[in-house]
Amino acid sequence: MKILASSLCLLLLLQVSVMGETLIVGPGKTYSSLRAAVAIADKGDTVLVLKGTYVSLNTIIDKEITVLGKGYPTLDAQQKEEVVTITANNVKLDGFIIRNSKSGDMRDFAGIRLHRVHNVTVSNNRLINTFFGIYLSDSKNIRVSGNTVKGSREAINSGNGIHSWKCSRVTISNNSISGHRDGIYFEFVNNSLIKGNTSANNHRYGLHFMFSDDDTYRNNTFKNNGSGVAVMYSKRITMLHNVFQENWGSSIYGLLLKDITSSQINGNRFVRNTTGVYMEGCENISVHQNDFSNNGWGLRVLANCVNSTFEKNNFKSNSFDVTTNGSLSLNRFKDNYWDKYEGYDLNKDGKGDIPYRPVSLYAQIIEQIPQSVMLMRSFIVSLLDKVERAIPSLTPESVKDEFPSMKQWTR
Amino acid sequence: MRKRYSLFLIALVLIISCTQNPEPIAYGRDACDHCKMTIMDQKYGAEIVTKKGKIIKFDAAECMVDFIKSPDSKVDIASDKFMTTDFAHPGTLIDADKSFFLIDRAYQSPMGGNLASFTSMQLAENNLQSADGKVLSWNELLQQTSKN
Repeated sequence: MKILASSLCLLLLLQVSVMGETLIVGPGKTYSSLRAAVAIADKGDTVLVLKGTYVSLNTIIDKEITVLGKGYPTLDAQQKEEVVTITANNVKLDGFIIRNSKSGDMRDFAGIRLHRVHNVTVSNNRLINTFFGIYLSDSKNIRVSGNTVKGSREAINSGNGIHSWKCSRVTISNNSISGHRDGIYFEFVNNSLIKGNTSANNHRYGLHFMFSDDDTYRNNTFKNNGSGVAVMYSKRITMLHNVFQENWGSSIYGLLLKDITSSQINGNRFVRNTTGVYMEGCENISVHQNDFSNNGWGLRVLANCVNSTFEKNNFKSNSFDVTTNGSLSLNRFKDNYWDKYEGYDLNKDGKGDIPYRPVSLYAQIIEQIPQSVMLMRSFIVSLLDKVERAIPSLTPESVKDEFPSMKQWTR
Repeated sequence: MRKRYSLFLIALVLIISCTQNPEPIAYGRDACDHCKMTIMDQKYGAEIVTKKGKIIKFDAAECMVDFIKSPDSKVDIASDKFMTTDFAHPGTLIDADKSFFLIDRAYQSPMGGNLASFTSMQLAENNLQSADGKVLSWNELLQQTSKN
């Protein structure tokens, strides 16, 4: 029995030495600030911060430690500095309220900054009134999950919620971002995953890619942002099962694609946007199994897009399903459901017997003379469209769905 | 009398619409005519005013340069007016051909051009931060081959 007890003790001791020490920060405890505890901590230690409000003028975490907040302690930079900067690998920062970083013209003051690190986790924090929220640069293998990033500054004076620059293998999951310039911003970020986030009410884009390749974003919701999501100058981006909704205004899009190659847009929902998807200079894009409903323009594809396929999508209650400024002869529409299709299916194979031409004559007219939008839903417009459907002459011959689906695709 | 008045009005409209005056950029609302992005950063906007007074706005000087150089560009270098933003006074447009352009990694302009514009060579050089940064005039900038 004695042997058992002592061996148990030894085991516990061993455990403790492997786990490192726990340093407790709190009012009346050994350490009164996170900075003081970090200064003493060794690699592998845990710093536990108890509930309270602490002034944190850019506390630098430069050791491989775990920093945990208990009961959401607040780190406040009082708009004088950044709040926390992580410069060591294998750090975990979890459970804090981070607030009031400074705004700056030249420097991007952040709530939590990571610079040149790998294997760092930033989770379950609440960022309030920061200029940039979480700022990643030159880093690898980073996990950002379960954070709430809430900006409250005016449009011209706000940075991005989760900003990532020159990183790879970043996972951004289950965060909620609002009130920033771009909710999530990627520049030169490769092999990364963005999933399950909600990005709403941001000033510019919910999510913004620039020069970033081989990334995936799925199951996110982008709602009521200045302008949805922008994917620009990137290759091999996979976009699955996201929701794009309520992006209204001139030159505002649910999803803006500019100079994108070899990407997939599958299973997404575009609901109530001025333009669901806008494509310019795109190549090899597959747009399959998406729902476009209640948009002004479902799809706007410019003539410089080539080799893209649009299959098994549902187009419902859009003012215009597809518009273009050219012929789109190098792209293919197939098996889509169009609620404006008026053909029959006499052989009952589920496919319409005559092709559907999604670009209406009126859409072509608006293309040339934007002011003619005032004739929308007038008798003359429906007459024009009917005549054009019967005897196509002005709408691009090549834009047609040879086998339009008679029934809506169920997902 | 009424006829003369209306004639005067028409003439006035014509005169106003023909002037080559720049228009302030509505940050957060206007979109770049080249990259389609909403213009947000007051340190980097740019604008072309065509001979006929048409305004073309950009989120960054590099977008304006790309726009000018694009194959189907209808820009007339000789008679159009090119404006860029004074980095020292965000939100203020200045003549591009009298500006000096600093290309420096420390300046993260919206479209990855690392381009900031200043009113004088001196100011631009004073703001140089990286070892490989350089200062170009408007003509030198136009002659430089585009990165994108």
